[in-house]
Amino acid sequence: MTGLGSSVREFLLAFADDEHLMGQQHTEWIGVAPFLEEDLAFSSIAQDELGHAAALYAIVAGDGDPVDNDLRIDELAFRPSPDDWRCAQLVEVASDDWAHALVRHWLYDSAEQLRWEQVAQSSLIPLAEAAARAEREERYHRRHADGLLDVLLPAADSAERLQAALADLLPLAIGIFDPVAGEAEVVATGVASAPFDTRLDEWKDRVRHRFDFDPDRIEPMAPTGRLVRHPDFGPLLVRMREVIDLDPAAVW
Amino acid sequence: MDDFEAFLDDGGIVEVDDDMPGAYRQAVFAFIEMHANSELMGGLTERDWIPRTPGLRHKMAVLAKTQDEIGHAHLLYMVGADLAIKTRRDMLEDLFAGKSKFHNVFHYRAKTWGDQVAISFLVDAAALASQQAVFKNCSYGPYRRILKRIITEEGFHMRMGEERMLRIANGTEIQRTMFQQSLDDWWWPSLQLFGPDSKPGDVLLRWHIKSERNEVLRARWVQKFVPLLMSYGFSVPDPGLIHDTATGTWTSGPIDWEPLKRTLAMGGPDSARRIADAAANWADTHWVRRVLDDAPPRPAEVAA
Repeated sequence: MTGLGSSVREFLLAFADDEHLMGQQHTEWIGVAPFLEEDLAFSSIAQDELGHAAALYAIVAGDGDPVDNDLRIDELAFRPSPDDWRCAQLVEVASDDWAHALVRHWLYDSAEQLRWEQVAQSSLIPLAEAAARAEREERYHRRHADGLLDVLLPAADSAERLQAALADLLPLAIGIFDPVAGEAEVVATGVASAPFDTRLDEWKDRVRHRFDFDPDRIEPMAPTGRLVRHPDFGPLLVRMREVIDLDPAAVW
Repeated sequence: MDDFEAFLDDGGIVEVDDDMPGAYRQAVFAFIEMHANSELMGGLTERDWIPRTPGLRHKMAVLAKTQDEIGHAHLLYMVGADLAIKTRRDMLEDLFAGKSKFHNVFHYRAKTWGDQVAISFLVDAAALASQQAVFKNCSYGPYRRILKRIITEEGFHMRMGEERMLRIANGTEIQRTMFQQSLDDWWWPSLQLFGPDSKPGDVLLRWHIKSERNEVLRARWVQKFVPLLMSYGFSVPDPGLIHDTATGTWTSGPIDWEPLKRTLAMGGPDSARRIADAAANWADTHWVRRVLDDAPPRPAEVAA
């Protein structure tokens, strides 16, 4: 299949942007996580998420037929205008607190599993193939986050930190299910099996079970069609483009 | 000690449970601890630039490299801890308290992307040369086995550094100017990494922990990098550099060892910030370690 059309393109960019920025946020923990095994785990998970982003951008860059060309992938991955990005605010928000990082990791990866499932049988074959590859990695991401939460949530001090992080992040996390315009066409063409927000209740059940907290108690942010950036996004994009912006003609 | 030294001279390999003189145990431990600390602090030097890496798959590669460096630290701390002088946590806490040493180059700040590339090009090559020399004839078995893996991975890092340097060398004026500045800043610290000339009574040589003298390794590194950098049109910031046209040999000019001494005393240009940042991060995540330390052991997971 070639010729993506603007709706599918927007749909893929939103997914790719989320994966890219989740990976980007995880890179901030290399070397400063609570112990060396966690430095290694976060760097491994970050590489996986960046790899998923690269696979998705490659499909968009090739208009359905993935390219193996860094320059073309990076044209999409480092779009200069914030208005052109389609990420969820959950992955844009800055965090210098490890409880925050761990809870975000769990919230994101538990939704990511459902998201890949929506495209596992995609009519866009490279996307279905990417879903199969991603799920092989994602099961380890979920085991990693769950393994830590199993130990940290029963202890009073760490539970308090994690629940506070959950309260901060839940309104933004629900935004992962915020569709881009044109999602109906994405479903109609069989690229995705159903609108992603049809999985929202299932995800909320997972949250309830994991954190013993009802996500419906939190007022979610209003859907924006992924068109509104978090205030932390601007500085993040400047940081990501710092070297690129030194010289637009350079290849690094 | 005479018998032990004769054993080492005959190519004997010491294992962790073997009897060994206390001085040997201490010397091996101090060497491994400094190596572990250097891998970790090197990873921290690089991490500052990972989020700014100019390219998505490029970022994955840089991340993998830093993961290797921290993975080396992880292995080395375990090998060090087995010598039963300090636990792994003691070693980390001593490092973050500024009480233990790490290589001079990681007392400097990577201020630009060019510095990041210079580190993976110059510093990794210097570190690899030193590690290869240790691996060749190291009398402490567990360290030697770990070095085999470290050297393999460092070889990939060095090639990655060369590729990145080549792109810059063939790049724009802005790239070349940035990289020349990085060479000017990192040349001497990289060269000083090898240390001053080995002393006649150096126990690291006598006990076959190291197999080559510092000045030999340093001269070999100069001989490799001077012509390489010049061939790409970069200059080497050493006004005393001597070229013997008959033999083709390059020899560095007089070396000022004061900057090295300052780093050993934690007085390098970025020592205080590096230690303070690492200590602050360690303190911020204390709550996680405390809970995990107190948690009952979990049953072993069955692989899915």
